[in-house]
Amino acid sequence: MRERFLTGYNDFVLPFMIGMVFILTYCIIALIRIIGQLPKEDRRRFFISLITPKTLAKNIKDIFCDCLLHVKIWKRNKLLGYMHSSIAFGWFMLIVVGHIEVLLYTPHRAKLFYYPIFFRYFVAETETTMKGAVLFFLMDFFLLVVLSGIALAIIKRIRSKIFGMRRTTNPSFLDLVGLYSLWSIFPLRLLAEGFTADISGGSFLTKSLNYVFTSFLSDHANMLPSWWAYSCALGIFFCVLPFTRYMHIPSEILLIPLRNAGIKIRHARKGLAKAQVYSCPSCGLCIDACPMSVQKGNIKDTTVYLNRQIRRGNEVRIEEISDKCLLCGKCTAICPVGVEGDKLRIAQRSVRKYGLSPDYSSIDTASLAIDSRGKILYYAGCMTALTPSIRKAMESLLKKAGVEYELMDKDGGICCGRPMWMAGRFDQAKQMVEKNTGIIRNSGADTLLLSCPICYRIFKERYSLEGIRIVHHTEFIDSLISEGRLKIKRDPRKYVYHDPCELGRGSGIYEQPRNVLLRAGTLVEAAKNRKESICCGGSVGSLSLSFDKRKALTENALNNLTAASPDVIVTACPLCLSTFSRYADRKVEDIAETIDRNTSN
Amino acid sequence: MKDNIVIVGGGIAGMEAARQLLKLGYNPIIVEKSDRLGGHVAQWHCLFPDMTPAKDVVSSLIEATGRANIFLNTEISFMNRLKDSYNIMLTNGVSVIAKVVLVTTGFSVFDAGKKEEYGYGVYDQVMTNSDLEHWFNDGNDDRIDGSEMNAIGFVHCVGSRDEKARNPQCSKVCCITAVKQAIEIKKRFPDAMVYCFYMDLRMFGKKYEDFYIAAQRDYGVRFIRGRVSEVSENIEGKVIVKAEDTLAGKPVKVTLDLLVLMAGMVCNPDCSTLAGMVSLQTDSDGFFKSRDNIADITSSSRDGIYYAGACTGPKTVPETLAEARSAALEIHSYINRL
Repeated sequence: MRERFLTGYNDFVLPFMIGMVFILTYCIIALIRIIGQLPKEDRRRFFISLITPKTLAKNIKDIFCDCLLHVKIWKRNKLLGYMHSSIAFGWFMLIVVGHIEVLLYTPHRAKLFYYPIFFRYFVAETETTMKGAVLFFLMDFFLLVVLSGIALAIIKRIRSKIFGMRRTTNPSFLDLVGLYSLWSIFPLRLLAEGFTADISGGSFLTKSLNYVFTSFLSDHANMLPSWWAYSCALGIFFCVLPFTRYMHIPSEILLIPLRNAGIKIRHARKGLAKAQVYSCPSCGLCIDACPMSVQKGNIKDTTVYLNRQIRRGNEVRIEEISDKCLLCGKCTAICPVGVEGDKLRIAQRSVRKYGLSPDYSSIDTASLAIDSRGKILYYAGCMTALTPSIRKAMESLLKKAGVEYELMDKDGGICCGRPMWMAGRFDQAKQMVEKNTGIIRNSGADTLLLSCPICYRIFKERYSLEGIRIVHHTEFIDSLISEGRLKIKRDPRKYVYHDPCELGRGSGIYEQPRNVLLRAGTLVEAAKNRKESICCGGSVGSLSLSFDKRKALTENALNNLTAASPDVIVTACPLCLSTFSRYADRKVEDIAETIDRNTSN
Repeated sequence: MKDNIVIVGGGIAGMEAARQLLKLGYNPIIVEKSDRLGGHVAQWHCLFPDMTPAKDVVSSLIEATGRANIFLNTEISFMNRLKDSYNIMLTNGVSVIAKVVLVTTGFSVFDAGKKEEYGYGVYDQVMTNSDLEHWFNDGNDDRIDGSEMNAIGFVHCVGSRDEKARNPQCSKVCCITAVKQAIEIKKRFPDAMVYCFYMDLRMFGKKYEDFYIAAQRDYGVRFIRGRVSEVSENIEGKVIVKAEDTLAGKPVKVTLDLLVLMAGMVCNPDCSTLAGMVSLQTDSDGFFKSRDNIADITSSSRDGIYYAGACTGPKTVPETLAEARSAALEIHSYINRL
């Protein structure tokens, strides 16, 4: 390989250089700002995690798997996974191999930013170049890989269904500019390298293209415009990148270490929240996942649009979108980059200014004091008070198993605080947490039994009750059965289990209820279950979704549950139970009722 | 030849219409899905506000419709429109061609078990208004006979005016029915305390207000304005009701020996099947939709199909009877026009 130009420069590199300098400056400033916005202890934690070998290794692995290979998308849909990783990994390899070429053949140019990108323009093939045939082949190969990805991306715009997506995001104007410039980069590169392949060398793709070109465009003077076009495409892409969804490419590299450092959202718009919002690739997987999208009018209220509106600073829409959400957490569960749609919304709610801020600190808990030393303390919760059959069945089970228990809220009680937490009213929630912590601590109980997953989640996450076992009744029944304290008999019924959002995705309890039901009868699964279970529609998470609008959601969730035509729908959440029983065409019951019916001792 | 008129439903609306149509010289055919005539009213004990025995109303109607063709335990299996009449196939194999079909399918009582928080089907001492009427009629119910009656509560608007129960409509008759039942209960158990938990009382009919005043003044029934928030059961099996007395602005908690839920009127599920056969319109509440809710309540959007009674919405007994007569007259003039 020898250089064709003494200067190693041509004007056409300018658009690329402008774009590159712009995007680098932008990203560095943004990086400093986001890290600066983190609270002090979080920032320290982040820096420590960067030098801890374990998190460092995890960061590298995650960046490689998520940003380049897109392993999570592969798991969802092979074609969609291939499309993403072919573009990301292919492009990455083009850059890597390009740099290797420069280092190998023209090491003195390695400090020039643009040189590896436009290498083929600046060099000419010599006799000794055959040694580089492997590199030439690799370059063409990865270019082909990227081009195949681009082709799939174009097909996806027209028919997203074959990629397993019913609906995709509506791109904004700048997104489209970014999209078209990205699409054009690689065909233009092929064109440019095709023109120069007889001078600079090439492989199966560029060489063959060169033969075609020479037959009707033999004049080498035509090569310059194509290199200009290639550089312009790159320049435009980099210049619009911060204002488009493609900002997710640099942002995700920051989000992964932040997440691995264990940092939580502390501010609605700053720090981690900002990193998450910018990491959203607008892929629209959350649109299909969102239980609200069964109604077309709600599609624009999904997480991808929340991120877009936060970036635009459209306060009216941010408020609407954050209030409407059921907080089922499914978008978080399936998001390939790890945007936490539910927590992001709670954070938006928490900065709301209210005219009235109720103060619960004056509630007198003396009358609620209870002595349950050596017994189990059963906190049924307000939703269970509205579904008395659950409490009745649970009490009957406790009696059958010979468990000594005391009811914590038999005669009124204090709310667990989770609904207030969901509404973003953390101060009020904390007051309730404090009150209940006092009651539980003073009771002397060593186990706290809950039958409502909404309570269970906040007891697990926000209460500090060290030394007290916090257990949901699904877990408790499971342990009673495995200890042999409950004798269970099978019936011929076919059961399906509905994973309540707060118990499944919220608290990670999937196995225990299934273990229990397997012993009570035949267990069939819903079309979408576990992590992807569909919210019943009754969630207290939504602040604005009216009752009549929820019907379609519940019906959709029921259709999902009855896919395997079960006789009984079993759930473990009083709210799911009352929501489903309203519209179900078959029996809906709580797991405690099922087991109570199937035990005799 | 006498014109056939098919009447779907043998409740009081169907029978009253049949009686009028017989007088006008037609041949009414009553199709009733259950094994007896009289519908819901036949199971009631006595009717407000004069405590008229329901049995009398129903038996005089049955007597008056003796000459009509009556098919019990029969439903419509299909119905289709011919040129100016309907071809109707019944489940007993009979097929009829009739110029006019009168729909008198009435209502269904709301399934109180769906309001689980009130404990119907969960706690022993909870019953519905129709369970109570049964007991008035045959005096046989473990919930009442089994225990001493010291305090009894009535919960108004169970499954009516309740969006969460999918029934935003007012059932119209439960306020006054509760007053009537409270008086009847008080007559049987003069020493018992009787409470009525209501949102608001709609005493719209003739003499209803007097009846309500009498319940308070003469019988000492306690009316508490406020919805019941929670119902639970104590160890003796008594029902504990928590509510808010919104007039006093205080929470109340009472222990009751019996809780009666005033289950409301909801659309008959047969409505939608029938509506599907000849594409009749139903309203958002599930009841049939009249051509006009003011001027033309007995007509449907289809020629030759008429409505009477509670199939178009909750109605009282006198309203139902009046509508049945009016429908008969409408049918008569329709046939004469043909």
